[in-house]
Parts: sequence; structure tokens; C-alpha cells
Amino acid sequence: MTFLEITEGPLWVLASSVFVLGALWRIIGIIRFGRKPDISIPRASALMGAIKGQFLHFVPHGGFSFRTRYHLVAGYMFHLGLFALLIYAAPHVLFLKENVVGFDWVTMPRWGFILSAEIAFAGLILLWIRRISDPVMIQISDADDHIASWLTFLAMLTGCLALDESHDSLRALHMLSVEIWLIYFPFSRLMHAVTFVFSRGYTGAFFGRRGVVP
Amino acid sequence: MSVSAAIETFVNNIDASAAAYLDSCVHCGQCAQACHFYETTGDVRYTPVWKLEPMRRVYKRHKAPLSGIKKMFGLVPDEVDEDMLKEWEELIYDSCTLCGRCTIVCPMGIDIAGLVRKSREAMVAAGLVPEGLNAAAKRVLEIGRPLGIKPEIMAKIVGEQAEEVGIPIELNKVGVDYMIILSAMEVLNFYEVIGALARIFKQAGVTWTISTEAYEATNVGIQMGDKEIARTLVQRIVDAAEKLQVKYVVSPECGHAYSALNWEGPNLVGKNYDFEVIHILELLDQLVREGRIKTKSELDQRRVTFHDPCQIVRRGGIVDEPRNLLHMVSDNFIEMENYGVANICCGGGGGVSSNSRAEELRIKSFGAKKKQLDAVGPEALVTACGNCRNVLEEAIDEFGMDLPVLGLTELVAEYLDD
Amino acid sequence: MNKSMKKRLPFKRLTVMACFMMLFVWVFAAGMTGSFDLKSQAYAQTSGNVPGKTLGNQSDSDFWRQLRRGQPFDLSGTPGGMQVLIQTPGEEWRSLRNGPLSYWGGLLILVSLVFVIVFFLVHGRIKMTGGRTGRAVPRFSQPERWIHWFIASLFILLGFSGLFVMFGRYVISPIIGKDAWSAVASASMQAHNLLGPLFIVALVIMLGVYLKDNIWQKGDLTWVMQGGFFSKGHPPSWKYNLGEKFWYWLLFFAGLAVSGSGLLLDFPWLAERVQQLQLAHLIHGGSAVILIAVSLVHIYLGTIGVEGALEGMTQGYVDEKWAQEHHGWWAEEAMAEGEDVVEGAVQAGQPDNMPAE
Repeated sequence: MTFLEITEGPLWVLASSVFVLGALWRIIGIIRFGRKPDISIPRASALMGAIKGQFLHFVPHGGFSFRTRYHLVAGYMFHLGLFALLIYAAPHVLFLKENVVGFDWVTMPRWGFILSAEIAFAGLILLWIRRISDPVMIQISDADDHIASWLTFLAMLTGCLALDESHDSLRALHMLSVEIWLIYFPFSRLMHAVTFVFSRGYTGAFFGRRGVVP
Repeated sequence: MSVSAAIETFVNNIDASAAAYLDSCVHCGQCAQACHFYETTGDVRYTPVWKLEPMRRVYKRHKAPLSGIKKMFGLVPDEVDEDMLKEWEELIYDSCTLCGRCTIVCPMGIDIAGLVRKSREAMVAAGLVPEGLNAAAKRVLEIGRPLGIKPEIMAKIVGEQAEEVGIPIELNKVGVDYMIILSAMEVLNFYEVIGALARIFKQAGVTWTISTEAYEATNVGIQMGDKEIARTLVQRIVDAAEKLQVKYVVSPECGHAYSALNWEGPNLVGKNYDFEVIHILELLDQLVREGRIKTKSELDQRRVTFHDPCQIVRRGGIVDEPRNLLHMVSDNFIEMENYGVANICCGGGGGVSSNSRAEELRIKSFGAKKKQLDAVGPEALVTACGNCRNVLEEAIDEFGMDLPVLGLTELVAEYLDD
Repeated sequence: MNKSMKKRLPFKRLTVMACFMMLFVWVFAAGMTGSFDLKSQAYAQTSGNVPGKTLGNQSDSDFWRQLRRGQPFDLSGTPGGMQVLIQTPGEEWRSLRNGPLSYWGGLLILVSLVFVIVFFLVHGRIKMTGGRTGRAVPRFSQPERWIHWFIASLFILLGFSGLFVMFGRYVISPIIGKDAWSAVASASMQAHNLLGPLFIVALVIMLGVYLKDNIWQKGDLTWVMQGGFFSKGHPPSWKYNLGEKFWYWLLFFAGLAVSGSGLLLDFPWLAERVQQLQLAHLIHGGSAVILIAVSLVHIYLGTIGVEGALEGMTQGYVDEKWAQEHHGWWAEEAMAEGEDVVEGAVQAGQPDNMPAE
């Protein structure tokens, strides 16, 4: 088997399985811890609070500035750029069609792909800079934070290297770095991509029944 | 000092929400800017999420899903030890007022303040609690009152207030609508509120009483993180209220008392009450809307602003009522920046004001509040929490400012048209 | 060890090192040009032999001569501008690129590298005399730090990918073989093209942020006259000494040149004629090697070369001693001003921020 065939074959199956099963295991594990029933009389709906909480925390509300502004801008540049190119870039759509979902959808023109990639890179680099230069983030960051951001950067960089789509080795390298990222995902802080719904939900529900969503 | 008891408490306290929180934090550090302790000192250890480090370590080592596999590869954090818990005592008790501003700013919606509160329960199990809180707890268990105000003293204060306003106040009256409980700080320093309540209730035609068995709303168990003490104190109020067969218990101008009684109380004592709990601001607002309170047409002309007590507004949901009341009596009410749910803590909640070791830090943290006040330049500061009032007065004094601090209930009574 | 011996040793070390470095450089240059006598011969240049008759009994040589001179013809099926079959300037461009540009560019970078290494071995790390005072002077604001590291990361990525593209055929291809090299070259080119526009954005922002402190000031020349960086003592300077200002303005001109030319190369359909792309390429490569060569000095000085320098750009503040020694005039002003609050350190020249006792 060639390197490419391995990364698009057995290694892909392994990585995606670890990713899906690992993430499910962790989420179900978290939910199964359960919460003690709250018998106090609610003032408002906990469910509505949970839903409101999802949206409210997309933007830091409450008049904070500076520190949150940086994260807001750089964070969204990275996330939105990444999602755009993951979901709408032609090579990805083709891959997803052939290996995951079985159907395709509208794709971005190539310049859109490039622009999203540039925005995503800029955001990620800006966030990385913040993590290594800000005293607060230096204090609270651990190995997991750095490994996760470097793996993400590598996956993006190898993708960029393979843009010409004319060398099997480069495509395989990108596949490999993505597979490493997928395997790392459920064991790390990257899980925030899934758990944030629950953390926003729990806070929204807890306070929602008190009549406020902080 | 028992590390294993602390670890066990951490593990037991981590439910689905705590686990989701601990697994969502991406160490972005935005919470630092929300914390007045960090903002005024620049000490990175006061970053809210850093206060949760012991809990996070216990979680990742003992309880987190997939921690079993990671343990095999040595990829879990080291066990929490005595040194770490001792180091964190200051962070968890001195540099956190459970104000919850960090919860607002967190992009994942993590209730960091709630987790600090849970961490305190582990600290109690370990026996690592600041002296001031321990002393208050001891007084509660031995004498029965956190600040040592015995029933006889209470009766005397009530009697004096009744005389001053010329309205009889009956203690332990059965079958009335409302039973009033007061914060220990109100009884000690701001007892004029009793007279104010008498006048307001007389005009509104509200029947009310104070029980000599349960007149204090302050719950040091909630602040410390000691569930047993918390339960004892709530039970005392519930017993007295049910004995007097009142319809409502009115939670006063005290920060955590409303939460303690209304939200946590039923879960602590294990049942719902025969009465309802209402906050004094809610009650006053309701009486105003029903037209049962009339205030003078002449309004207060001083330039005033309102300090939102964290536990009432941000954590309690009573946001508009104080504003409605203040607009009713003041012609010159200016909101400060970040008013309402995002307002900055006075610096002394969550047991910090009872903790003498934390005094210097608490005073320093007032710098954040001072910035807000300097921007508004008020002639008087109004608030609705006895502890906030006390803490603010102390800090204003330390900073050499000239600014009176007023209680909202008393201000309303002052402008009562009787 | 007596005094006279101590004095002689560094000189001896310097000579030996210099000899080794010259040998090193010669070998590499030889490798790059393909001949040990360093004749800069363009790669694979043919002498222009043309094929045989195509028009039957008519002479072809005139026809081919016209072709070779770049004469446009009326060709079927081609849009405007494609009528030139062979443009000889292209050959000149190729020989420039593979000859002097590669040779002198590579040499410049190597000389810079050697210079830095030799300087470090001879002079050592420039330390703060007498140690730190422990008090901090704010030097770089948050935005200054963010934009610096942003552009630095891009510079590294673009620099490496650019060096691969430029020199890979001489240095990497012989080692890993042509197949592997084609993958590396494609990868480098793709990364370079994608990240290039980001660099332009970063450069413009950076030039704007750093402009105000990089204008000529009275005293800059004095700093140079007193020996500048190579002096024994520490002649005072403003926030940036003339050496640092030189780096800024090099980035200004060479940076904008590499950016403008790079943009054209990234969007080649915007050029009217291929000669424009060729010129852009030469400008791009030329400016880039100059920037890379000087950046080695900048990186050296900012990291290991000068004790106490790096923390300015990571933490935002420097030690009082460093400030006074290296940028004395600036230090005085900065400490008196005291507007910025230093996070996490005792600030120099500041009263305590506690409330009145």
C-alpha cells in the first residue's frame, strides 16, 4: 500500500472511529454524572434559559473591553475561516462526499477558499501570539493548549502545502496530520467544540429558572 | 487537615454541569478582565479559572471520562496535595466574592463562580477555612448567631425603632402575611431599616412580623461552603415561618440571603416550604405597582447612582425593581457604566468581608468600583445590600472620598408620603 | 594566565575562525554555481541551435531568427498578446536568476550567517553590566507586540518557503532526488502564495504602528559616531538606535518592494507582458534575500545576542538596567512618563498605587 492509500484507507478509518467514539464516550460520560434535582420553585423556564445561553455567550456582553475584543476578533477570524474552508472548499466537499456523507453541496470559488484560509491562519497566529505573550494566558496555559493549537496549525499548513493537488505525498501528509488531530481530539481541550453547548446550556438552565441568564 | 477528604468532596461535587464546565474551558483568559481582584492588582493568580485548578486536577485525574486511558499513559495531572490546597485557600476565599462576573464573560458560559463555591466545600472538608469565617461559623453553632446578636438585643433594637417611628411592631405575631428576616449587618449597623419598613408597610396596609427565633438572613454556611451549617440556618427560618403560619418570608437587603432561602434552601432542607419567599425589592416594587405605596411628589435632587449587589441582580435576577424604585424617589438618578447584570462587585461579598486576612486585598479591589464612581461623580451612592453598604463605606473612607452610601428601602421610606 | 596572553588569544581565535568560514563559504558557493572556480555559469544554457527546414526550399534561418528575436506573428487560435513564440529576454532572466541572483543572494545570506556566528563566538552575549535592578520599564505595548510576532511568524514561513523555491534546486534536490524535490517545491510555492497577501497586510500595519519612533532624531548620528553597536561602552540612544531604524526603513522599502512584486506574481494575469513578471521576480528575489540576510542579525540580537532584549517583545517591559544601558535617553523619558502600567512586575519610577493611608 502506498503512503496515500494508507492515510486514506485504514488510518482514516482508525482516526475517524477514535474521533467519533471518543467524543461520544466523553459527552455521554459527562451527561451521565447527572445533576441533583432542584426542588426550588422556578421563576422562569430553565429550557428557555439553556437556549438563550447558547446565543448570549457568542458575544461577550456586559461592557468588557480590550482583552475580550482581541479574543473576539481573532477567535472568530480563526473559527469562521476554518469552518468556511472545511465545509465549503471543493477538495473537502469531495472528500466528505466520498468518505463520510455520500452527497455534496455548493462549494466556494477558489479565491473564497484562499481568502478563508488566510483569515483562518491570521486568526490562529494572532491567538497563538496572545497565548505566549499575555501574562494571564501564560499562567493558565498548559501543554494541552499548546499541542492542540500546533496540531491545528499543522493540519492547516499541510493543507495549504497540498493546494496544488498534484502530489500524492503532500495530500497524504495532510491526511496524516488531520488524522493525528482527530485522534488527539477526544483526549484534549479540543472537545470544547462539542462541550460548549453543554456548558452554556447548564449555566443558562441553572440561572434561567431564577429568571436571569448571565 | 485532610487532603483525602477534600479530594473526595471534589469528586462528589462534580456533577454533569461541573464536568461540562471543566471540559469546556480553553484557557482563553477572558475571565481575568471580569475579576476586580485581577484588574486592580494585575496578579495573574487571581484569574478566575486559575482558582479552579485544584478541582480541575481532581476531575481530570479521578473522574473525567477517558481519564482511565490517560492514566495508563501517565497523562493525568498530579494528585492535589497539602501544599497546593494551602496555597489555594487564599485564592478561593480571599480573592473571590462569588460575584459571577466571570460567568458572564466566559465564551463557554462556564459558571466559574459556582465552581469556586463548590471548591469551598472541599476546603471545608480539608479544614482550610479563613479564621474570620470559622469564627462566624463557631458563633452560629455555639451561640446561634454569626455576629452574636442575641434575641434579647434584637427585641430591644426593634422596640427602639418602633418608638422612633411611632408605629408598633409586633414580634412573633401569628397569621400575618409577611415575616421579615434581616441581614446581620443590617441589624448591627443599619437598623433604621426596621423603622423604614414599619412606615412603608403601614402605608401599604401590609401585616408583618419579626420572629425572635429566626430574624437573621445571613447564612455563613453558604458563604463558607459548609452544607451542614447552611442547612441549620435555613431550617431555623423555615421552622419559625411555618410556626407563625406566614404567607411570605421577605428576604431583606442582603446579598446571598435570597438565594440561600429561595433557591438553595428547599434543596438543603429537602422539601418545599408552606410559604413563599420574596425579596424586599420585589415586594416594594409590587406594592408600588399596586398603588399601595405613595411617595412625595418632591423628589430627591441629589445626583445619585446605584450599585447593583451581585447576588441580587446578576445571580438573583432582580434587575429592574431597584431601578423602578429609585426612579420613583429620585429626580437625578444616573446609571454607572456596566450597570445592571454586569456591574462590578463591591469587593466584600462571598464571605470576604468577614475575612480579616483579606482586608488589604478587598480595599485594593475597590479600585475597580472607584473607577466607575469617578466617571459618574455622584453625590450619593444607593445600594440594596447591607454588606455592600458596609464594605463600600469602609472603602470610600480608605480612599479619602466624600460619598454617603444609602440603603434603598430607607430612601423609599424617607420619601414616603405619610 | 597573564594579561598579554589573554589579549592575543581572541585575535588568534578570530583568524582561525575567519579562515574556516571563508573555506565554508567557498565550498558552498562552488556547490551553488557548479564549478570550483566560481565561474557563474547559467544553468543549462544552450547556444540556440534551431531545427531544420520547415518551409521546403525556402531558407528557414531568417524565419527562425525573427522568431528568436521575439517578433510577433499572426497565429491562428490565440488571443492578443500570445503572438510572440519565443521571447529572448526570458533567457536573460533565467540566467540572471540562476546566476548572479542565486549566487550573490545566497552568498549574502551565508555571509550574514557567518558574521553573526563569528560575532557571537568572539564578542559573546552582550550582558547587562552589574545585573538587573528588578524594576521594569514598559517598552512595547500590546499592539506593538502582536503585530511584531504576527509579521515575524509570517516572515519565517515565507522566508523558508521562499528560500526553498529559490535555492532548493541546488541544495535540496541533489540530496532528496528530483521526485521528492518536486513535491517540496510545490508545497513551498503553495504555502508561499497563500501566506504572501497576509504578510502584506501585516507589513502595512507594522510600518504604521512603528513609524513614530523610527523617524530620524538628533543624537542618532552621535550614537553611530561613538561606535554604535560595536562600541566598548553604551552610547545612549532613543527608543530605537540608528541600527534599528535602519532595519525599519529597510523593511519599509525592501518590504514594500517584495510585497508589490509578490502581489503581481501571485496574480500574474494582472501583468500585461511576461517581462513584467520577470522583472517582478527579480525584484522579489533580490529584496527578499536582502531582508533575510539582515533579519538574521535582527533575530540574533533580539534573542541570544543581547541579554534582556527578548522579554521586551514578549512581556512588554524591560529591566531598568537594560533600558538605561542600551537606550538611555528613551529610558529617562519612559520612566518619568509612567503612563503604562506594567503587568506583573514592579514598575520603575512609579509611586505605589495603594490608597492614601
